[in-house]
Amino acid sequence: MVKRSEKAKTMRKLIKAIWIFNWFNSCGFAELVPLVGSRWDMERFGMIIVGTPRHADVLFIAGYQTHKSLERAKRVYEQMAEPRVVIALGSCTMTGGMYWDSYNTIKRLEDYLPVTMYIPGCPPRPEAVFEACEKIFEHVKELE
Amino acid sequence: MSKKDTGLPAEIKAKFKSDVRVQKEQRIWISIESNKLIEMCKWFKERGFLHLSAISVTDWLEKGVYELTYHIWSYDEKILITIKTTIDRKKPVILSVTPIWNENAQIHERELHELFGVKFEGNQDLSPLFLENWEGHDPFRKDFNWREYVRDEFYDKENERERVYYD
Repeated sequence: MVKRSEKAKTMRKLIKAIWIFNWFNSCGFAELVPLVGSRWDMERFGMIIVGTPRHADVLFIAGYQTHKSLERAKRVYEQMAEPRVVIALGSCTMTGGMYWDSYNTIKRLEDYLPVTMYIPGCPPRPEAVFEACEKIFEHVKELE
Repeated sequence: MSKKDTGLPAEIKAKFKSDVRVQKEQRIWISIESNKLIEMCKWFKERGFLHLSAISVTDWLEKGVYELTYHIWSYDEKILITIKTTIDRKKPVILSVTPIWNENAQIHERELHELFGVKFEGNQDLSPLFLENWEGHDPFRKDFNWREYVRDEFYDKENERERVYYD
């Protein structure tokens, strides 16, 4: 119990709310729209989507990544301030998804970017995304 | 819209002695030798076919040819013409239509140069359009074994989860 509250203190120092920068290819954002809409409304948790990666704590990556888009994703990641978290959504980022045998999309995102967490699913449920965001607070010490 | 005979198919036949097929009014297909293509395109451009909708390539592996297809459109006459021509797929070289349609043709020629390796002579900029750091085979050619490429490039035989791709 004590340990957990200490962790929580550190967490509060580092991240108070999760600000998100989205990097979505293909159907990525279309599948995450419920999270923004009124039904699951992520803003009630203080999660907002920011316009620049320099303001963001968390980078959401979804959809298949091509070699071309990956270069841009890396630049986005490099601009983010520490502590930074990369959450990869959907099966495309894990295995290539339905593009598993395509010649120009990558198959495992962790080979290219330090992925903190994967959320499986095609698309992942909004509840799963919230659970992952909750885990960010738990793992915040490990991120340092 | 009232139906009227524009006389265009007969005109093309007389001028270029090419194979003209009229599918319906306003939809004309033409087959022509590749060395006459530029002359024909110039003629069409002057006649009011201002819009080059697309250029595409079909790879006929057995015949050993690339079939190039040019779709051109006239805003005045509202006619869509498809010009087909073939080139050798071992040495895919053809004159560029960028002097005729400028930027309109530029993007299509760049794409086809990247995906099929067709060389458009006279095009100033054939730099890669979609692919970056690509050092493989021209990816849209039929003899490009992409399954093999993907296996070598992305998958690991030692990885238990991925061994299935090798079976």
